[in-house]
Amino acid sequence: MKKIMVGNHAVSWGVMLARAEVISAYPITPQTTIVEELSVLCADGRLNAKFIPVESEHSAMACCIGAAATGVRTFTATSSQGLALMHEMLHWASGARLPIVMANVSRALGSPFNIWGEQSDSLAQRDTGWLQIYCESNQEVLDTVIQAFKIAESVYLPVMLVLDAFILSHTAEPVDIPAQEVIDAFLPPYRPQWRLDPKDPRTFGCVATPEYFMEFRYKMHQAMLASKEVCRQVDEEFGRLLHRQYGLIEPYYCDDAEVILVTAGSVTSTARVAVEELRKEGHQVGLLKLRLFRPFPKEEIKEVVKNAEKLAVLDRNLSAGVGGVFAQEMRAALANWPSHPLIYSYIAGLGGRDVTLPAIKEVLHRTSELAQPPAESLWVGLRGKGVVHD
Amino acid sequence: MSQQIIFKNVEDMPYMSISLGSMEWNKTGTWRYLRPRLENKVSPCMEGCPVGQDIERAMVLLGKGKYLESWELFKEENPLVAVCGRVCFHPCESACNRGEFDEPVSINALERFLADTAAKQGWRVKKRIEEGGTKKRVAVVGSGPSGLTCAYHLARLGYEVTIYEALPVLGGMLRVGIPEYRLPKKVLEEEIDQILELGVKVEMNCRLGADLSWKDLQKYEAIYLAMGNHKSKKLDIPGEDLPGVMSGLDFLRDLSLGKKISMGKRVAIIGGGNTAIDAARSALRLGAKPIILYRRTQEEMPAWASEVQEAEEEGVEISYLVSPVRIGGENGKVNKLECVKNRLGPPDEDGRRRPMEIKGSNFSIEVDQVIRAIGEEAELQGLPKNLGVKEGLILTDERGGTKLKKVFAGGDITAQPRTVAHAIGAGKRAAIFMDCFLKNKKWEGLIDDLRLGEKGNLSMRRYRQEEKDREPISNKTVRLRDLNLDYFTFQKRSKMPKLKVQQRLGSFAEVNLGFTQETAVNEALRCFNCGVCNLCDNCYIFCPDVAIRKDVQTGQNIIDYDYCKGCGICVAECPRHALVMEEEGR
Repeated sequence: MKKIMVGNHAVSWGVMLARAEVISAYPITPQTTIVEELSVLCADGRLNAKFIPVESEHSAMACCIGAAATGVRTFTATSSQGLALMHEMLHWASGARLPIVMANVSRALGSPFNIWGEQSDSLAQRDTGWLQIYCESNQEVLDTVIQAFKIAESVYLPVMLVLDAFILSHTAEPVDIPAQEVIDAFLPPYRPQWRLDPKDPRTFGCVATPEYFMEFRYKMHQAMLASKEVCRQVDEEFGRLLHRQYGLIEPYYCDDAEVILVTAGSVTSTARVAVEELRKEGHQVGLLKLRLFRPFPKEEIKEVVKNAEKLAVLDRNLSAGVGGVFAQEMRAALANWPSHPLIYSYIAGLGGRDVTLPAIKEVLHRTSELAQPPAESLWVGLRGKGVVHD
Repeated sequence: MSQQIIFKNVEDMPYMSISLGSMEWNKTGTWRYLRPRLENKVSPCMEGCPVGQDIERAMVLLGKGKYLESWELFKEENPLVAVCGRVCFHPCESACNRGEFDEPVSINALERFLADTAAKQGWRVKKRIEEGGTKKRVAVVGSGPSGLTCAYHLARLGYEVTIYEALPVLGGMLRVGIPEYRLPKKVLEEEIDQILELGVKVEMNCRLGADLSWKDLQKYEAIYLAMGNHKSKKLDIPGEDLPGVMSGLDFLRDLSLGKKISMGKRVAIIGGGNTAIDAARSALRLGAKPIILYRRTQEEMPAWASEVQEAEEEGVEISYLVSPVRIGGENGKVNKLECVKNRLGPPDEDGRRRPMEIKGSNFSIEVDQVIRAIGEEAELQGLPKNLGVKEGLILTDERGGTKLKKVFAGGDITAQPRTVAHAIGAGKRAAIFMDCFLKNKKWEGLIDDLRLGEKGNLSMRRYRQEEKDREPISNKTVRLRDLNLDYFTFQKRSKMPKLKVQQRLGSFAEVNLGFTQETAVNEALRCFNCGVCNLCDNCYIFCPDVAIRKDVQTGQNIIDYDYCKGCGICVAECPRHALVMEEEGR
């Protein structure tokens, strides 16, 4: 069944199809309609879940942690400042190995106050031990919610999926709604090895002294590394059942590309058009969509970019003083490979500014022209400074 | 005891931090450097009670519906519970921490409820024959609250007690000074009967110095003097000797003894104490139109505010800042009272502002009867010279002992506040030290051991070492700042139901009607139980280390020091300051 729905509702419907059992969330623009729709689904009985309203995102995550510890499928959603407020609890959730799924509608963090799209919020949480998956379309959003539960529950780690504010969250697209029985077959009920149970009382999250703490972190890291393979398998299984598959990354015209544009999130769709048009003009350009960000799929990326000369990483985020986060990650991933492509870093679309087709083309042109990458990131569309400021 | 689980290899560990066994092996008590400790303390009501009653514990028992146990607890200290429940000025309520929070607990009314329940059920105070009772003979002179109390405790301590009473009735001022509508004779007689049931002998119509000589008393091994103040002070104004002028005490005594009283129509009562109010309200009930004349203002009045209010409700007129100058008569009868108006001057020795006569403000009112009630004094007669008397009062030491070894004294004939409660307290104190004297027990330092709090009276239960149910005890008094008020909600105090004014007039029926069972229990549950564990279980609930355990036998909460880390949460969350934190001994 196809429905026209905004990205936020795609999240809610994915949660419904996944049969989440506890939802605890606090509303924040642009995430609010996810929670509103979920409360409606809970209220009218389409989703048999306990909906727990709370007074803050910190409490929302704390609530999810408690609920997940009892062995139930748990979901929350937030954005920007709300995600930042959760930060402390994010570490706890992953350290406690609780497979909570969260949708983050990526939005800039104030100050200055801004409610529009930018991926700095989720990228600032990259070290919290959560898997992160960036989505390009509303369909991918819905499918990723369902996949996320299966991945999380397989590796006992929480998963955050990211959709861009307004461009996805508030934009309606046709979305195919899978049949419930298909999803039920794909995603069986959650049955963890350990759960809070009065009949089998145990302490959860008890202190780990220096003699043991490192071992727990080692296990968490191993689980995170292993989750990459799980992500691949889950995506493939999903593809077999529903004929939709996204991969960990998605190469587009990359085989013979000299310059490969690297994107994450909804800007990928615009980039696809830019690459197609430049190809028609005879430029050997390609596009690499990063979908899985944590764990970072180094080997898969290396395989795709091995023949390219240059990578243009388009970052819709900023780590002040360094530049784009994705560019850093790409450099780190390829650093130990002597013949890796040159990496060009572009900052674009902060605070919800449109990243336009001409701008993306200009990014690719500039990358071709510049023999060596500048020391610092280049800024796209800076007021009064032309398309690309260097 | 559990075993510690040790993982040799990272693969053997669970993926999440989770307990796979008990942590009992880990005696976390060794981490502690501060130690919480249960320590029951003294509630301010106990400290404030001149009788020295364990009010706090009585409230707990009452709140649980254990009326008998609660009443018995009062009776351990005080033989006159029904009396105090009616006429005590209840300093316990003034001291009540709840008073600073919203309104004090209605302790006085609850005491009465217990006594009324006891009367209804026919409960009798337990006889106790002390082991090795000496059977020594003791005399008590005066059967007022102080004498009765001393006789009661001495009888329970195993002595043969004889009370000598000048009047043909027992009870002293309770019987002949307090009118029926405040303290019904039946109620008083029943409590006195219970004292006599303990074997106390009585000689009535036996006035010391007239019917009984000091020599007669010497056959006793100890003597308690508690004759009270039964003489009204004189006004010292012209006309005071006219017929129709009488003392308030004589009036109330004659009334209560059933003597015929010739009541005037317009009666002036001089004075501002409880006797004045009692006389005025009694006169009103006999059909007169009383007016009280008081030389200062209502603020300085020694009578209790509630009594004044009830008198005014009933229609008693009160004229303030007025002093009598002369009583006028005609044909040998009072017909007018000349007065002068006052203004308030600077405070005198007792802190109350002194009345100053306004020259030339004289005026007269038409009256046909004058009752003077400006204070009472003792009529000390038949006492030996070497007893030690100063300014009309018998001199006593901290025990209530006089200069004569075996003679003790208390109540209104000694220097102490003139209240029923203080008289009872003195009787109990004397009984304790007479026991010490008669058994040759060391008494030095005992007062501090037996005193409730810093300034309270002595505890008979403590003297008998029967306070085990309150252990472990500290003598610290708990104040409002010591409590965790987060656990208490505002709740108005229960009001004493009263007879309607119309029903009061023309009758001596009791004005205060007493609490119902439901009101009493609700009111008792308002008690904070300051300083005493009432098993609210907050410590048990809050302890993050499950180190509070229930003692199966006693039901008490016990701190398991093997595991208590000394975090202090139990102490902080104890609503009533029954836990203290102290440094761990090393």
